[in-house]
Amino acid sequence: MASPERNRNDRLFPGARGVGYAVVLVVCVLTVIPLAYMISLSLQSDGEILAGNPVLWPAHLHFDNYQRLFDEVPYARFFVNSVVMAGTITVAHLVLDPLAGYAFAKFSFPFKRTLFIAVLATLMVPFFVRMIPVYVLFSQLGWLNSYQGLVVPFLCDAYGIFLMRQFLAALPDELIDAGRADGAGELRIFVRIVLPQAKPALAVLALFTFVFQWNNFLWPLLATSTTDMRTMPVGLTMFNQEFFTQWNLTAAGAVVLFVPTAVLFFFTQRYLVRGVALTGLK
Amino acid sequence: MSERHRAEHATAAPAPTGPEHSWHAGSPDSAGPGRAAGWTRRGVLGSAAALGAGALTACGGNAPSDRGGGSGDRTFTLYWNAGHGYAAYTKLIEKFESDHGITVNWQKFQWPDLQTKLAADMQSGQVADLVEDDGSGWPLSYAATGDAYPLDEFIAADGEKIGYPNDWQANALRNSRYQGKTYGIPLHLTCNLLFYNKTMFAAAGIEAPPSTWDEFLAVARKLTRGDQYGVALNSDPGYLSPWMLQNGVQYWDPSTRKVMTPVPKAIEAMRFQHDLIYRYKVSPAPSATADYEGPEKLFVAKRAAMMISGPWDFVPIKKTAPDLDYGLALPLKRDVRATNFAGSGVFIPAKARHKDLAWDLIKRLTSLSVENAVTRETGVTMPRKTWAKQSWVQQDKQVGAVARALAYGTSWPNGIDATGKAPQLDDALRSAYQSTIVKNGDPAAAVRNFRAAAAKLVGG
Amino acid sequence: MVATVERAPALAPVRRRAPMRRRQARTALAFLAPALLFFALLFFYPLLRELYTSLFSGPRADVYAGVGNYTKAFGDPVARHAFWVTVQYGLGVVVGAIALGLVLAVILNQRMRGRSVFRGILLVPYLTSIAIVGLLWRNILDPDTGILNRVLHSLGLPTQNLLAQHPLATLVGVAIWQQVGYTTVLFLAGLQGIPELYYEAAEVDGASVWRRFRHVTLPLLAPTTLFVSVIGVISAMQEFALPYLVTQGGPDNASDLYVYQVWKTAFGFRDFGYASALSYLLLIVILVLSLVQLKVGSRGES
Repeated sequence: MASPERNRNDRLFPGARGVGYAVVLVVCVLTVIPLAYMISLSLQSDGEILAGNPVLWPAHLHFDNYQRLFDEVPYARFFVNSVVMAGTITVAHLVLDPLAGYAFAKFSFPFKRTLFIAVLATLMVPFFVRMIPVYVLFSQLGWLNSYQGLVVPFLCDAYGIFLMRQFLAALPDELIDAGRADGAGELRIFVRIVLPQAKPALAVLALFTFVFQWNNFLWPLLATSTTDMRTMPVGLTMFNQEFFTQWNLTAAGAVVLFVPTAVLFFFTQRYLVRGVALTGLK
Repeated sequence: MSERHRAEHATAAPAPTGPEHSWHAGSPDSAGPGRAAGWTRRGVLGSAAALGAGALTACGGNAPSDRGGGSGDRTFTLYWNAGHGYAAYTKLIEKFESDHGITVNWQKFQWPDLQTKLAADMQSGQVADLVEDDGSGWPLSYAATGDAYPLDEFIAADGEKIGYPNDWQANALRNSRYQGKTYGIPLHLTCNLLFYNKTMFAAAGIEAPPSTWDEFLAVARKLTRGDQYGVALNSDPGYLSPWMLQNGVQYWDPSTRKVMTPVPKAIEAMRFQHDLIYRYKVSPAPSATADYEGPEKLFVAKRAAMMISGPWDFVPIKKTAPDLDYGLALPLKRDVRATNFAGSGVFIPAKARHKDLAWDLIKRLTSLSVENAVTRETGVTMPRKTWAKQSWVQQDKQVGAVARALAYGTSWPNGIDATGKAPQLDDALRSAYQSTIVKNGDPAAAVRNFRAAAAKLVGG
Repeated sequence: MVATVERAPALAPVRRRAPMRRRQARTALAFLAPALLFFALLFFYPLLRELYTSLFSGPRADVYAGVGNYTKAFGDPVARHAFWVTVQYGLGVVVGAIALGLVLAVILNQRMRGRSVFRGILLVPYLTSIAIVGLLWRNILDPDTGILNRVLHSLGLPTQNLLAQHPLATLVGVAIWQQVGYTTVLFLAGLQGIPELYYEAAEVDGASVWRRFRHVTLPLLAPTTLFVSVIGVISAMQEFALPYLVTQGGPDNASDLYVYQVWKTAFGFRDFGYASALSYLLLIVILVLSLVQLKVGSRGES
């Protein structure tokens, strides 16, 4: 976000900057409070949760709620399942999206335009429309309630392909031609020359894919049927059903689900913001 | 726990979707955990059916079902509610396995997941051998599509020996008969009754719990002061049923295909609840969320002195407020003393491979000794008359209260599932109920709107 | 497939154009093959299947109904109600998120301390699972046991029952809460794409700050705004989780968003054919909106 600074120009009236500051501050506080309350809930005792008179902050911090999460529910298992699902899908995206994006960016072949449009068209198809047919297909394949069932519907996507194509199109042809002149195979060129150049785009792709699959709820709910296959967001549901009055445990589960993405985000904010901007505007 | 998911509570089917990969589309993955409280009492029917139903048919072919759906020759597949894996059943199943030299593949699901699973299986033909249902009438809807197996031959052979149907509470059997045949056997039987806070009653100088609507209203007014309400009503339409039944209203009349008859009585019952909130102000307006535990929370927090609920709230109350001194009273009386049944049942899918074994397991599951073991273990109440008459049951403070209330129980759905439109009807009822109880609309209009919607769905 | 390609003859002399082109095509198709296979099997095939199913009715979707499900949808008051509720919801979310996002972006586009921290905070809800968002707000807003009324009560303020009285507006508010960080970042990117030159020219002309905003910033942000609104409307049309988690579409269907209704039709009512038809109608609306965006967008570029 290194841009020409315009504060000098944008001053509407004396003190405008202070007002602007105040507005942003207020919105940020409103953004944070509910999330902070979630953390507070996760540390409250059963008594505080159930008293019917909610409290803003617990009298004592009940960190043991997090322990109970793993003792009373197989939350560790949910966690592993979430890691497997989001991790595998991310790896698949990192392989398949650049491969296809590279093909669209640097090669000429018959029906290129048609194929590209076909791929882009999938962007307009809501998951909801294909969910049930995919469910039925997987039911026939015996893939429901399995890791392949969780992962396969999301192995690659048009957005990632488009992002990689845009990025790789800017790559100088000379680099690739030099590789060919050295006698390197196409796959070798791709792996050794192209991919290393695409690191920033790959980082954006990986982060987004991981975060959004980490939060994915609908498909894991539909495609899994036993406790040992549930992912965390779905596990959270079960929680809320089984321990419906125990909002402290539900909130602890939410925090466990939430914190990794928040941490990941704060360390990679720069990439993510760029990713949102890039992907959003293209 | 999963008593929460029994009949009159909606069961949420698998859920939601949001824009896929919406990170490029504006909002993050929209989808979230669902609650047990779905939009209909028994709405679950659908989940499955919808998935499997159309879809698989369209695929054609005899597809293999997903993992665990089928039953090998020496494997007996049993689908069960996730909350009902009691020790008594575990023991029974071990015995069953060794007696027959088979392995029981005992799969447990939440009700909605069970439904999804079930319908997908029904369509693929690879089905479980025995299935627990939520007691609201699933066997009927599967019977209507030819997916449930009639039990009449088994009953003809063994009925007398096991006391079926004579030893079962007669009203509990309405949700298992379709076109003269029996498709399911009730397994657990529970019902709604009146919960009241003894401490608050004593403080207000009230000696006995109310018995009639008039007494109920008087007591509720006396108990309402400041932050404290006499009663907390539920926005879930499942809680409409006891009031309707007490006022002599029938939800579904199979002979005329009409709902909510007689109409003036139905309006009166609807208005009574509306007035408790908006006229007498003895109950807070129910929240319009996916929750249905609002009243339980208020009751536990001592902010409501009474609520209408059932045994499924025993454990939550004990867990959250072990010191709460509350009593259970018989269901209220208006024209009649009445309440609605809940619980669960079992049925055999039409394509089950081990039907004889399934029947044998049903006999074991419903024997008095097993019923007793389960009740002692969990407090769940049972459908046998001989169970209810036992002195230890009668003398137990909580179980006994429910057992006595069961005598006034009846089936609110009354076999409406056989129409195949029960979920739509329940959805329309939810709308109507909320229009008056949450939105303060005219109770008469609510009943009329519901009847109009029902007429479209099932004629009459 | 990829392996074969690698074993293919390594280098083609530049003169031999035709084999070179063929080799290129082979390589490209090999690279594309996994993705194309994926789209064929997991996008286009399911779409065709769904279309096929939409021509049937009955609990098993095995009764041929032709276009019956589609004609039914146009006359179905419930579906129409759900559609209009959804349009209102979409407009509310989009207008709200754009207005607030624009204001925040203009402010954050200035030199200020902690700018990236603020921006980061604003984006956090957007990265939070909707599962959490829904559960959390339902808890907070509960009229009897939620923290909000507790706080209002202790401050001596009137308490709320928003979910009963203004269910749709409340869901709109929650959605804006979640999404405003996203629109802010998009607008920030748009703002940085405006050449400083324009502002300098405007300043030389003596344009007031408001006039500069009105005549430079806003018009030049138009493509961003269009993008944000179309994308926002499209994603709002697909909202499911909030009504599902927070209100169950109630009270009295006041927040019965379209996809939630489709879901009820499929999973609740076992009317899978009709649900498929409703899904397809939604798909058509989304396609039209997307094409409008493409059209207007490309006109803006030329």
